[in-house]
Amino acid sequence: MPFDTEEDGMSRRSFLRTSTVLSAGVAAVAAGLAPLRKLGEFTSVDQFLQKYYKELTPQEMKTVLERIETEVQRQYGVRPHVRDYKPMNGVEYVYALNLTRCVGCRKCVHACVAENNQSRNPEIQYIRVLKMPNDGTFDMDKGDHNYAPKSVPEPGFFFMPVQCHQCKNPPCVKVCPVKATWQEPDGITVIDYNWCIGCRYCEAACPYFARRFNFASPSIPSEQLNTNMSYLGNRPRYKGVVEKCHFCIQRSRVGRYPACVEVCPTGSRKFGNILDPKSEVSYILKNKRVLVLKAELGTLPRFFYYFDI
Amino acid sequence: MSNYLRFLRRCASVSLVGDWRYYTWIGALTALCIIGLNAYAKQVVAGLEITGMSDQVSWGVYIANFTFLVGMAAAAVMLVIPVYIYKNEDLHDLVIFGELLAVAAILMCLAFVTVDLGRPDRFWHLIPGIGVFHFPGSMLSWDVLVLNGYLVLNVYICGYLLYCRYQNRKPSKWLYIPFVFAAIVWAISIHTVTAFLYVGLGGRPFWNSSIVGPRFLASAFTAGPAFVILALQVVRRASGSAKAVELPVSEREAAEPHMIASRTATFEDLDRLAKHLPEVAAVSIEDRRACLVGATVLNASPGDVLLRQGALDNDAFFVLTGRVVVRRDEGGRTRITRNVGPGEQFGEVSAITGTPRVATAVAMKPSEVLCITADALRRLMKTPKMDEIISWRMGERLMISDRSLLILRAIVQVSMIINVFLLANELFTEFYNSNRHDISWRYLLFGLDGHHALVPWFWTAITLNVGAMVLLMLPLSRSLKWLNVACIMCIFGIWIEKGMGLVIPGFVPTPLGELVEYLPTLNETLVCIGIWAFGLLCFTILLRMAVPILQGQLTRATEP
Repeated sequence: MPFDTEEDGMSRRSFLRTSTVLSAGVAAVAAGLAPLRKLGEFTSVDQFLQKYYKELTPQEMKTVLERIETEVQRQYGVRPHVRDYKPMNGVEYVYALNLTRCVGCRKCVHACVAENNQSRNPEIQYIRVLKMPNDGTFDMDKGDHNYAPKSVPEPGFFFMPVQCHQCKNPPCVKVCPVKATWQEPDGITVIDYNWCIGCRYCEAACPYFARRFNFASPSIPSEQLNTNMSYLGNRPRYKGVVEKCHFCIQRSRVGRYPACVEVCPTGSRKFGNILDPKSEVSYILKNKRVLVLKAELGTLPRFFYYFDI
Repeated sequence: MSNYLRFLRRCASVSLVGDWRYYTWIGALTALCIIGLNAYAKQVVAGLEITGMSDQVSWGVYIANFTFLVGMAAAAVMLVIPVYIYKNEDLHDLVIFGELLAVAAILMCLAFVTVDLGRPDRFWHLIPGIGVFHFPGSMLSWDVLVLNGYLVLNVYICGYLLYCRYQNRKPSKWLYIPFVFAAIVWAISIHTVTAFLYVGLGGRPFWNSSIVGPRFLASAFTAGPAFVILALQVVRRASGSAKAVELPVSEREAAEPHMIASRTATFEDLDRLAKHLPEVAAVSIEDRRACLVGATVLNASPGDVLLRQGALDNDAFFVLTGRVVVRRDEGGRTRITRNVGPGEQFGEVSAITGTPRVATAVAMKPSEVLCITADALRRLMKTPKMDEIISWRMGERLMISDRSLLILRAIVQVSMIINVFLLANELFTEFYNSNRHDISWRYLLFGLDGHHALVPWFWTAITLNVGAMVLLMLPLSRSLKWLNVACIMCIFGIWIEKGMGLVIPGFVPTPLGELVEYLPTLNETLVCIGIWAFGLLCFTILLRMAVPILQGQLTRATEP
């Protein structure tokens, strides 16, 4: 590269040449960015400027909820009721799942999808059921995630559904760089879908494969939309954010069972308040043989597996 | 202030000027950048679905490249430490190349992180003070701080040193030495923090190992200096044809008459030279005879001045025995620019170009120096091999000496040995007991249940790394040709090892034992190519500005 000391003098010819190169460059960049014309509504100004959940005043929250209702109505043609359900005092939720009884029918998986407005395409499911061989190993590497028999249960196997364990020491919350996910006083780890930046660090951190990312815009048939929605729960998500099981916050925080508990035909799923000594889950933890998945990681799940003896 | 703006404006206009090779290179990189931008625009529209990533393997080739490039950025420190802590003069001028590489690498890192985000529009949530910054809890927030801090430090140090050189002014120690030392610590920290991103995840046994941090540093200090070795040779070659400096008339001095004892040179002296400079053997008898016309051998004692800066004579010199230093007076300070040993030349620039001497050469030890005329040098350079070696070494004005490349070789050599050793440690720990922890390693090395996408890649990496290590330990790699082969092997080997070879197996199998493989899609690959082109474009432009300043051609004195 010979060094040209005449770089400062700009003749008419070099001006023409420079402007030709510049305009060609601008045209090439514009052509490169052309796909963005199909972007549609990626984000609105209000969405872009929305504050962090914990910094919203009640009045601002009201505005945000109304805006979300309008957005959902515009997209699905149905006006939902979006509310910001708050945790109840003196309540800490715990989940117990009976491994002796579960038959692996996956009714919980589909009830969850319907209740929580999960994307049908691409398919997002919060509950993953493993078909495990009765060979004395309890080795999840031998689990079958895609079993599809004519009927369940299958002899020689037991079934282990896995969903968010709502850990007391959640690795996903620890790693989030923007605090878009946190643990609520009732033990539920929630996500602000308007604050998540989509880095997926929480997905890498979770030892239970509980988190799902919206790799594309979620799609839900309008007629299947559950219009009882919560801000931190089952309202439709955006492209590029993370979601996961939240113990059906829109149900549990008004005293109802999560959809998976309600639908289970074998009664394998138990849910309740561990702070209430008379609750079903308190009884199970006191009296049954209980198993915690990956206890060695110190995540302290609020999701317990137990056995009938 | 206006001085500084004029400096920036001149730097910017220099970056737009070059020969056809420069324009071709810049044009090709720009085209690749635009292709990458186009691919990224498609990704923004479609979402990350357009990549090969999934919930099971939630990070892919973007984060793999990010990890590799943080190492490249950190490796600049391996040029800084020898100069500022061990006072190595050979590498002195090259420090800035390492730092410019760090700047370009960090820009690429930031681009790779950005394209990996699902919501790039919410980038502002990460800005401390404006968004919500999870510090010190999240290692990612640490990474945001250290990467941006490192970028600012390096931009400042390079900018300040180059500006001082431009102004022909001695840099004030207080204005840069503290920052240089901060940058040394910072460089270690950026790569350690990046390792901790992975190490901190207890649910991923493949990453959750305390040796990952040291492995990161060892591999960074291999690949980074290896890249610098290659880049410096490109710079040396590209700047070899630059015009020499014309000193202002007022600064010219008369040449000091040589008072050094001398004798007529003989064929034997050429044979002695050939011992250190094998290319001489290729010179024909006729050319040798012609070049001995008027040639002398000077017997210099320590302190003897062989040629003086500003003088108008034009002999060329080859050291036969002893040692000569070349020093340069710039803006009131004197700096040793080269140490010349047996077989090496000095003074050939003026001999070829007929311009005044740009430096002063002084014997440091009792030395025998072969002095030949400018015509004799041209005669020697008719032999292609001699032409090649002498032209290469003409990079002396930039002070990129073979010796400094060999110092970098030593760094790459030691780092690669440590890197391979640490890998062996990891493999022993994983496989000797063959517990549950080794499953990702088994996937990486042998494949699992018919899934083996990474197996050929990783064995290639191991072959390249071990091959490079052996090559670097052989004296063979003291020749630049083999050194370059070894460097390319290092860079590719480590790019695989700590890119795809580190990121992907952490996800395979998933914590629930599911086996889902990952392969980057075409669109994802194009985005990566675009970012690499962007980084190389930045690095090229930074070099295009820095080289004429370091050569003393772009200074305040040459302002129009």
